Amino acid sequence: MRALVIEDEPVLLENLVARLRASGFVVDSAADGVEGEYLGSEYPVDVAIVDLGLPGKPGLEVIRAWRRAGRAFPILILTARDRWQEKVEALQAGADDYVTKPFQFEEISARLQALLRRAGGWSQPVLSAGKVELDPRSQQVRVNGSAVELTAFEYRLLEYLMLHAGQVVSKAELTEKLYEQDFERDSNVIEVFVGRLRKKLDPDGSVQPIETLRGRGYRLARD
Amino acid sequence: MPSRAPSLVYRLVVGLVAASVVLSAAAAVALDALMQRRAIEARHEVLVAQVIALIATAELEAPDELRPGNIAEARLSTPGSGLYAEIRAADGRVVWRSPSALGSGLELAARPLPGARAFERVRLPDGTRVLGLSLGVSWETGSGPAGVFYISAAESLEPHYDDLARVRLWLLAGAALLMTALALGLVFGLRLGLRPLRRLEHEIAEVEAGRRNVLGGGWPRELTGVTGNLNALLDGERARQARYRTTLGNLAHSLKTPLAALKTIVAGSGEEVRGAFDPQLERMRDIVDHQLRRAVLGGAGSTVASVAIGPLLGELVAALRKVYADKAIAFELDVPADLAYPMDPGDLMELAGNLLDNACKYGRRGVRLVARPVASAEWRRPGLSIVIDDDGPGISETDRDRVLQRGVRVDESVAGQGIGLAAAREVVAAYGGSLLISGSPLGGARLSVDLPGR
Repeated sequence: MRALVIEDEPVLLENLVARLRASGFVVDSAADGVEGEYLGSEYPVDVAIVDLGLPGKPGLEVIRAWRRAGRAFPILILTARDRWQEKVEALQAGADDYVTKPFQFEEISARLQALLRRAGGWSQPVLSAGKVELDPRSQQVRVNGSAVELTAFEYRLLEYLMLHAGQVVSKAELTEKLYEQDFERDSNVIEVFVGRLRKKLDPDGSVQPIETLRGRGYRLARD
Repeated sequence: MPSRAPSLVYRLVVGLVAASVVLSAAAAVALDALMQRRAIEARHEVLVAQVIALIATAELEAPDELRPGNIAEARLSTPGSGLYAEIRAADGRVVWRSPSALGSGLELAARPLPGARAFERVRLPDGTRVLGLSLGVSWETGSGPAGVFYISAAESLEPHYDDLARVRLWLLAGAALLMTALALGLVFGLRLGLRPLRRLEHEIAEVEAGRRNVLGGGWPRELTGVTGNLNALLDGERARQARYRTTLGNLAHSLKTPLAALKTIVAGSGEEVRGAFDPQLERMRDIVDHQLRRAVLGGAGSTVASVAIGPLLGELVAALRKVYADKAIAFELDVPADLAYPMDPGDLMELAGNLLDNACKYGRRGVRLVARPVASAEWRRPGLSIVIDDDGPGISETDRDRVLQRGVRVDESVAGQGIGLAAAREVVAAYGGSLLISGSPLGGARLSVDLPGR
């Protein structure tokens, strides 16, 4: 999952980025509206966190510009202005949810999970595809009701596939969304991780939740 | 209900009609007096001519016996003709009297000095009003002075009074007609003249009802000052409010961003530091929130314009649907299409936002909002009632007072600031209204807001 954070307060920005990375996000960040808008327009962002009071370009205008350009990723706004008029205005501009300052990171994390889930078309908090269940809140994965231990990267890979269940996800997309740096990108590594994930989810090969479409990518069946 | 001052049209019509009645009456009276005087003066000339004619023909027939010669005036010879003549000696004894005066009972008393004349008004025994003219004459013959005589002519005024009465009737009819025409003209003219004022009244009412933002154009010269200033005032109020809110918004941002940063730093430190700092940070947050909220609160009297309730609630519900997309809450909005209330839109958004947010937070599937105007004989503009129901667990009677206090949240497990209801109560208080919590027929809480009219 690739998240974009735009916040001009350095301590907040640094902390948000660090905690998002720790919970498995690939994070891009900007400290002003102009750069933030550029990142959101040009990068493959899955979700954005935008402070409304930004230097350069106000958060509301950044959001409007993205929506006008057809960028559809969910947007969570951070605002110090907790008047309903301002919240409604931001939601009308194209934001999907808001958190008022000051906040706990757990609040932001919960809202992000919900936004991503909703964007993937899931209405329940626990994602389930076939016999596989994934709970983003606790980062727990179960197959046939029993817990499966995954590494952080394996979890991120599965989460991404589940949030895009039913869709074909290319290897290029996976490297983009799961790796921070360009130099880390190597599609062979993705193949290796998908192989390991398959083994862990389906040791005896009876379920086969992840389908390989030769030359196009992977698909996790929705049900 | 306070007694209302009479309308401008009423005042002007009454004032102007009264003035025109007084003026027309005065003119009629003056005209009448003038005509009477003219009529009497015309009689004077007739009498003078008669007296001169008598003197011209008079001859002394014996000492003390002065008599006119041939009388040319036929009326003097005709009894009851209304024209009389007589000659009196110095002692007042009548020495000659015209045949017309015989039996009339005419008695003239004036005895002017020789060469002088005197008019007098007398009444005959039958009531006839008569004007008399006597001339004092010191008669002389070839052999010397023959003594003083009073030569008089008199005429009945009754025919002229009859004429005057007829003329006066016409005069009165004319004056009445004039007054009626004047009054009608006034009413018509005033209606025409005051039409812009009526339009102004109408447009101000529309501004009050929120159907228009400023007054239109095309006012007569005399009103452009007022309308221009009113528009400037309306614009100024809006601009000032907007500027004020922006400033406070920026202040909120610059106060709460460092607070958020502090909180983040504290969250990353040890248990001991967190325990010491967190309550202080929470308190600072609460104070900043509370003071900023109070500062932006408009309250009753902050605006003359009404806000249209339906569209604003529609926007709010659309926004809440987004926030509570997971719950898929069924909103039931029952608001009359033309419902409006004199309130700052931001305040209404704050009030309804907090109450609906609360209902969405605690409700399971359904939230219902019913808004109605509240009429009262004391109010020119109706009050507003908003009732919000949810199907959540409700608020127990013991908690109902407590949740309206600042910073109290009954259920700590549900995310939120826990200040929504207190904030809503502050808005309601600023408009002199009431906020009540009770049980809802939907199973959860019912919050009833009542805002007074004006």
